This record gives sequence, C-alpha cells and structure tokens, in this order.
Amino acid sequence: MDEKTKFGLFEYDVKNGLGLIAYNVDEHEHAHIIVDTKKCGDCDSMMCVWGCPAQCYMFRDVGLEEMKFQYEDCVECGTCFLMCTDGALSWNHPRGGFGITYAYG
Amino acid sequence: MSEEADFDVIIIGCGMAGMACAAQLLKEGVEGDRILVVDRGEPIGAKNLSGGILWGRELDDLEDIFPNWEMDNPGIERYINHKKIGFLSSEDAFIMEGKFASWDGIGGTEEPSMRTGWSVLRAKTDSWFAEKLEEAGVFIMPGIKIDQLHIDGLDHTSYSARDLTSPAEDSGRGDNQKWKIDNADPEIVNAIREGKICGIVQDGEVMTSNVVVIAEGSNSILTRSYAFDTMLHAQSRHGIILGVKEVIHLGEDVINSRFGCFSGDDERPPSGMAMEAALAIYDDMAEKAWEEYPVTAGQVPRAGGWLYTNRDTVSIGVVIQLDSLPSGIHTYDMLEAYKSHPAIAPLISGGESVEYGAHLVPEYGLDRMPSRLVRDGAVVIGDAAGLVYSNGAVIQGQNYSIHSGKLAAKVIAKCIESGDYSKKSLGQYRKDLDSSYVMRDLKRFKTTAKFLADDANYTWVPKFMGKMFNRVVREIGEEKITVEKQARKLRKEMRRKDKKTKKGMGLLNLIRLGLMGRKL
Repeated sequence: MDEKTKFGLFEYDVKNGLGLIAYNVDEHEHAHIIVDTKKCGDCDSMMCVWGCPAQCYMFRDVGLEEMKFQYEDCVECGTCFLMCTDGALSWNHPRGGFGITYAYG
Repeated sequence: MSEEADFDVIIIGCGMAGMACAAQLLKEGVEGDRILVVDRGEPIGAKNLSGGILWGRELDDLEDIFPNWEMDNPGIERYINHKKIGFLSSEDAFIMEGKFASWDGIGGTEEPSMRTGWSVLRAKTDSWFAEKLEEAGVFIMPGIKIDQLHIDGLDHTSYSARDLTSPAEDSGRGDNQKWKIDNADPEIVNAIREGKICGIVQDGEVMTSNVVVIAEGSNSILTRSYAFDTMLHAQSRHGIILGVKEVIHLGEDVINSRFGCFSGDDERPPSGMAMEAALAIYDDMAEKAWEEYPVTAGQVPRAGGWLYTNRDTVSIGVVIQLDSLPSGIHTYDMLEAYKSHPAIAPLISGGESVEYGAHLVPEYGLDRMPSRLVRDGAVVIGDAAGLVYSNGAVIQGQNYSIHSGKLAAKVIAKCIESGDYSKKSLGQYRKDLDSSYVMRDLKRFKTTAKFLADDANYTWVPKFMGKMFNRVVREIGEEKITVEKQARKLRKEMRRKDKKTKKGMGLLNLIRLGLMGRKL
C-alpha cells in the first residue's frame, strides 16, 4: 500500500510569541499560581507541561530532573489547573492590575 | 433591607456578558450610578481574548447605549460575508467555501439580508463598550480582582477564597477531585453555599449590592467557590477547549486581495472571511510522542484550526480538546503545525506576528454546566455559566453571553422594582434562559459534543474527505467510477492500512457517526 505521507514535526518559537505580550509581573510573594513541585516527581504524564501554552512548566521535556515552574510568562488561561492530576497546583487570578495585558485579544 | 446597599447591581467581569448586562439594565431604567462593573483587566479588555467572531445580531437592541457600534467600535474589525469550512490532513486540504450576498446586509437578496458576524479583537472592543457604559453613567472599575463574595451575616475573614479553590491534599487522581474547605465549621460552609449574597469583597473591603452578577468568564473561580456548581467536575478536562492564537499583521490591502475582501464604505466596515477546519495533521507528532511517552500512547489530539480576517491583521489559531492531548505534544507546537500546513502557510506568508495568546473555551455541554445559575442575591451569566455551543461549523459563545446578560438584566430590573432579590424571583432568569434560543440550542444539539469528541473527525474523516475530493475531480487517465463506488473503494483501502482506521471505518461506527451527524 501507499506510504504514509510525512507532514512532519513542528516547533513553535514560544519564547518569541510570549515576547509579543505585555505583562505587569507581580512580586514573587504574590505569585498567582503555586506549584508544590515535590508532588511532581513521579508524574509520568506531565500534562501541565504539554498543556501550558506559555511554557511555564519545564520538566523532562527539556531534560530537567525536577519540575521547574515560573509564573511570569503565564497567560492566565487556566489549563494547568485542569491538567494536574496530583493536586500539586493552586490556581488563582493575579492580583488586580497585574499579569497579562492583551493589546489585541 | 435596613440600610441601602452601595449599589443595586455589581457586575463582576466586563466581557461580552457583563457589558451587555449593564447596558440592558440602563435600558430597563436602572440608574447608571446604581450599577458597578468591576474587571481584573486594566484597561478593560486587557484580559479578554476570543477567536474571534461575534456571531448574531445581539447588539442591535443595545444600540441606545452603544450607538453606531458596528462602525465606531475600533475592535469590530470586519463583517463576515465569506465562510470556509475545511478538512485538513497531512496530505490534503478539502475546503468548502461560501460567499453570501445576503450577509452583506444591503438588501435585494432572497435570503434574509443582514450582516451576521464580525471579526473582533476583544481588547479593543471591550474597552470601547466600557467607555460607552461609563458615558452613560455606569461605574466602571478596571484592575479589580474579586477575591470573595460578601455573604449576609458571614464574616469574610473567617475563610479565604483560596481555601475554596485549591484541591484537597488527599485528592484522588482523575475527574473527581474533592475540594477542601479549611474551615470545616459546618455553619460557615453552609453560609458559603446557601447564604444570601449581598456584595463583593476586594482586598478586605466590602462593597454591598442588592444583586451580584457573576460574569467572570471561563476560569470561573467564584462560580465554583460559591457552589453554583456541584464542584464535582470542576477540575475535569472534559468538555474544555484550549484556544491558542496568534494575531498576524498583513496590512489591509494584502488581506483584501488575498482573501477577496471589500474595503468598506460609510455604512459598512470592510468585509471579511471566517474559516474553520477539522485537523488530522498531527500524525507524525503523535507517533513521536507515543514513543517517548507511552503513558498516553494511542491518544490522538482532537483539534480544529481557524483563520479570521481582521482589518489589517488575521487571527489564526487552534482549538484543542484538553482531554485528548497526549503527553509529548506541546499545545503551541500544534499551532505551529497548523500555521505550516501547505493550505494555510501561503495565507499568512509575509506577515508579522503582533500578539500571541491563549484562552479556555468552556464548552461544557448540558451535563457539566453549573448546576445552579441563581442564588439569593446573585446570578451567573456568559462563559462562567458554560454557555458555549459549537458543532464545528457554527461556533456560538459571545452571542450567548450577550443574550444571557440581557435576560439577567431584565429580571434584575424587575427585582429592583419589587425589592425582592431572592433566588425565587431571580430564578426567572433561569426560566427565561431555558426558554431562550441559547438553552434550546444546547438541549436540541446535546449529542453534538459527543460527535465533536469522536476521534474519527480528527483522523480518518478529514483524510477521507481530502482523498475523495481528489479522486472525484482528478484526471490521470484512469477509468471513471461513480462517487459511490469510489467511496466504497477508498474505504476499503483506508481500512487495510491500520487497525484503528479499520475499526473507525467499520459499518457500525459509520452508522453511529451518521446518526450523530444527522443531529448536528
């Protein structure tokens, strides 16, 4: 039979994409998402990593041994909260006036 | 009530639902200075993102408050008179295209002549709506995040909203996350769930109102916290869609010529095109992912792509059903694959990305909508209530939001007249919503969600459509056969390829899909 057509693999330059967005980043003590990364250790699906559209979660996908989370680039979509099955995540909106500021939307 | 509340109505969220609710309240005669709209975005619109097309003529009867919105709102980009529905596979693109004179809305057509949809950029649309509301006397407070609702007789310092929204320590895996409430005092818990809501709490400060309208959008923390929901499914991925989007600048002339658009006149904005497609383009990415992360092997990402023309930019993106995403595929890489597809890449070539963004779409369907939309002193409208419907060809959300906002406002205005803000009187909103086209659509098409969640639509269906079209229209010196024979032949060939396709294209499955598809 005919060969499967190759369309290929694609990588989005997400850092460049995020660079287009304006943020007003809040201080660390007011981070709107708190991840208890101790609970992430033996998570094999790492769905937050794959779901997050802003690469806020980095783990074995980039060769790290431990989950590394940063809230600064967060686009406040709420995906990670739905993805986490280990109860490692506490999710809230950033404080008023902080976080992402879309110019187009 | 012993003392007068600070406001008659406080609306949380200035998106489509919230602004429509405020506008309708004004129309019903509620004084502007008795209405407060708070939004966590600063300026208003900063947190708001849609695909986005606003379908339907829901804004028509708000013209008093939003005069000449179609021309004057800078975020209403183009009216849509041109729609494409596509099926993309790795190899082919089969795209159906309709251009309708009746959608130009200038008369002389057999079909009802009206403009029926507009491409919108929400940061701009929403700040304009807010401006107009402010001009009409409504209090608008941007940059305000609401932590808690004020409940009659309950000290808000006795619990925190975060306690209500973080998953329990000992929660099991999967869809039935329990929610912890640190303060286990049953009286407090009961008050949180059943008490009379009479205001908002922000930074420890209470502002009171007779009615609180929750229009907080898809991340409905307040709706969940205050048990409008049964909470049982609050953390489930099922029925939730992630939209990942880029806005790409091409210039007005390029868009006009590339997409066959009209550049507008004194009465109409420029015309535009809306395209949506089912995607079966992730085979290679999925295969690699399954190899590296066997935990979700065999799972196919169910995704659709869209492209909408704005005035001088296009909005392009993918919607991904979150319960279908396998480990090993980043959502943003799915956007890149769509942008790189041979049928899509030329449409955006030479463009410059100006914004990237993402947003959840609460396409809950009936069984996951919050179980209550009304409590004593509060109602839930718009995305927070899960009012979204899509069958792939029509996508409704922003218009449902506006409609629910207007319905709620009409009921609230009556309650203000009678001074009765109980869930019984506010409950009329739920009844009106149930008999409106919004809930009737959601009920009539309740099988649609299942149809859209069927892997077939993201695997062999787009492939089959592309191949069929190819074979029917091509001329390579082979003998012609009827379309029916061709379909049977193609099905046979495709079934021979792999087990999954064999099963997916099995007769029973075809009948099942047909039965669901018939009810779209």
